[in-house]
Amino acid sequence: MANSDKTATPGNRAPRSSGQGRAFSGKRIADLLGMPLLALATAFVLGAVVIFLTSGRLETVGEAYWGLLRGAFLKERGFSESLVAAIPYIFLSLGLALGFKTGLFNIGVEGQFYMGAIAAAWAGQAIQGLPTLIHLPLVLLIGAAGGAIWAGIPGYLKAKTGAHEVISTMMMNYVAFRLTEFLISGPLRAQSGSSTIQTPRISPGAELWALWDIPNRLADPLNALAVGLGLGFLAWMIARASRRKTKDEGPKNVDGNSSFVIRHSSILIAIVVAALAFIALPPLTRLWWPFTDQYDRLHLGLVLAVLAAVGVWWLLWKTTIGFELRTVGANPNAARYAGMSITRNVVLGMALSGALAGLAGTVEVVGVSICRCLPLFFSSGYGFDSIAIALLGRNNPFGILASSFLFGAMRNGADLMELSSGVSKYIISLIQALVLLFVAAPAVVRWLYRIKGGARADEAPLTRGWGG
Amino acid sequence: MSIVTNSVTKRAASLRGAWWISALLAAFGLVASWALLNLVIGGQCDRKCVEDTLAQTLRVATPIAFAAFCGVLCERAGVVDIGIEGKMLMAAMVAYGVNLFSFQLLKDGLGPTAAGNLSRWLAVVAAMAAALLLGGLHAVVSIRFKSDQIISGTVINILAIGVTGYMYRSFLSENLPPGPGTFPLAPIPLLAQIPVFGPIFFQQKPLTYIMLLLAVGIYGMLFYTQWGLRVRAVGEHPRAADTLGVDVQRTRYINTLAGGLVAGLGGAWFTLEAVDVFSPLMTNGLGFIGLAAMIFGKWNPFGALIGALIFGLGNSVTATISIFRPDIPSQIPQMLPYLLTIIVLTGVVGRAVAPAADGQPYEKS
Repeated sequence: MANSDKTATPGNRAPRSSGQGRAFSGKRIADLLGMPLLALATAFVLGAVVIFLTSGRLETVGEAYWGLLRGAFLKERGFSESLVAAIPYIFLSLGLALGFKTGLFNIGVEGQFYMGAIAAAWAGQAIQGLPTLIHLPLVLLIGAAGGAIWAGIPGYLKAKTGAHEVISTMMMNYVAFRLTEFLISGPLRAQSGSSTIQTPRISPGAELWALWDIPNRLADPLNALAVGLGLGFLAWMIARASRRKTKDEGPKNVDGNSSFVIRHSSILIAIVVAALAFIALPPLTRLWWPFTDQYDRLHLGLVLAVLAAVGVWWLLWKTTIGFELRTVGANPNAARYAGMSITRNVVLGMALSGALAGLAGTVEVVGVSICRCLPLFFSSGYGFDSIAIALLGRNNPFGILASSFLFGAMRNGADLMELSSGVSKYIISLIQALVLLFVAAPAVVRWLYRIKGGARADEAPLTRGWGG
Repeated sequence: MSIVTNSVTKRAASLRGAWWISALLAAFGLVASWALLNLVIGGQCDRKCVEDTLAQTLRVATPIAFAAFCGVLCERAGVVDIGIEGKMLMAAMVAYGVNLFSFQLLKDGLGPTAAGNLSRWLAVVAAMAAALLLGGLHAVVSIRFKSDQIISGTVINILAIGVTGYMYRSFLSENLPPGPGTFPLAPIPLLAQIPVFGPIFFQQKPLTYIMLLLAVGIYGMLFYTQWGLRVRAVGEHPRAADTLGVDVQRTRYINTLAGGLVAGLGGAWFTLEAVDVFSPLMTNGLGFIGLAAMIFGKWNPFGALIGALIFGLGNSVTATISIFRPDIPSQIPQMLPYLLTIIVLTGVVGRAVAPAADGQPYEKS
């Protein structure tokens, strides 16, 4: 990997002199993973102490954690349900991480999640009969826009007036709760005879497919075309990225005399992949498909989430926009002297962060909810957990994928834990809060275990005071 | 719009000592909002309704003011405290639990009335202790371990949600014996008889009186004592304060802990004055609104109190509207206090300047 050096040193501060050069050495990995793992272990131990103190029996601790483990992985569909729960976590904590990198603490992802969900629920049912190829991207876009606007307003206010985003986004949360409540019970309420208050069911074209459903969906040639185009686009991006890398290695590829095929290779690859997928995938998936369980809720949102993680990583560390965002986050004064617009970057950072949060809500509506709609008293509680996830993943998109899965598994296993041991599932929130405490203040962990050595430069994100 | 208001506020500020202009503006605002309210509910707001609304204003402003005082205490010493919400939630839960269970223990020995009174005050003390504990955590993490104070406050908020949720599910959600209930109204003799002012200010519950006294107390302490001068020095320029022999870290510890005690009173309000149940997340963002009130009040207890009263007014007017106009969806007026908070934060009412060292850990050199 030519760029392993850059990927191994996330963060915008100067890499430490000792860490340079031996990117993936064992010490480096232990250094990266050690503190989060220690934080997790400590939180679980303290959680066990709390369970023991409140129940008075030592066995309860074992029962609870065993139930948690069974619920998260071992029971039927446990593993895939953990993945389902991880999907919104991935989007939300990516949003938070992007904010942290821009120096913004977007504590209002929960409200942006709601606004994304209600926007998607509206867009999904307002138009009927569109094919997936058009409708699903449209719904995703509108959902993301809902979150982006909801976060962009506090971002603009922060840039222009210095209103601190922690309070203003928090207030926007409460406004979002009331607003969605009003919209669901009023203007957007389904007119059908059902007694539950919810928005109308979205059109089938806006649904995000469950994985088991893919062979059936592909029977429609338009859907097959959508998948083909999607895969073709992906292939184009990958081919372009790898071509740029080979270009960097020597001047011989850029002399302009190369043939048509070489010059347009990435587009040609994309067309071939798209055509192959369009022609071959429908019959092939009919022949063999690994997901057959009709009650499995795992859906294509997982693919979207992973793509989003790659996208955020690419945006932050491979583009000029990302460089500006990170510079504004690390040192706004330096950014201003370098001619970067603080206002533009703060608003952009907040809006992108909100767009990711809005996508989380969108995916929940079009991919997970059983009624394919937004019901009243739909509570997620994802928002606060995501702060811990983003910090546990060290604001690195790939770290976030891992920690999201962990938190998704905990959330999923909590029900069986409560059922089998009688320990309230709120113990999970308590453990998560402790994880956040230990990750946010590594000095505490270091003090607990008497670890010597100074703080790492990129250990915890820094927010700025009221001045803006 | 904002340019106009800015120049107006600038001119208002340049007229030195012209406090009566602000008072006049406030009176004008009150009358205007009363007229607006009457317009919405169709002229049904008579004197009784005005008195009720204003009394309700003071009642709702109580927890917001406590939260704002906690913020003033912490931030004047240079510690940003975003965890007030969590402290109040924890205190509310502890107050409810202690009130309930100590009443069960005491009622046979003392008789229900005395036991009720005693357990309610015990609950207040316990609530303060619980919030003090969280304040201590915030102090240790942000002063001793010098971690980011806003993150540390967020940890407190999330921790409080987890702990209160767990305790609620484990002990406080079912099969509860009847408790002693909330504080009864405690009208102050003589003063309560004053027309208009009496019902508003002197027929309240104990914590509201404590809040009003605290406003005076904290103001006096901050601006007229040696201790206050030291606290403000630590918040503005800790290095200079340190050079002159003020123990910066100790001052910050004391203030953060004192802030915890005050936030505990605010939390106790929820389950000892407002309603006789605890429900998860019942603080509903009032801690954050308190922070906005503090910023509105320019880190001054009286200003913070006025800020809290404005939010309280928004809240009680909302309640009055929903009584008289049930056809308006209740969610719309419920959004108002939160929108008001955002507007206050944007500095339409004058730019607020925080203590210079607010949020910065102090490293002794």
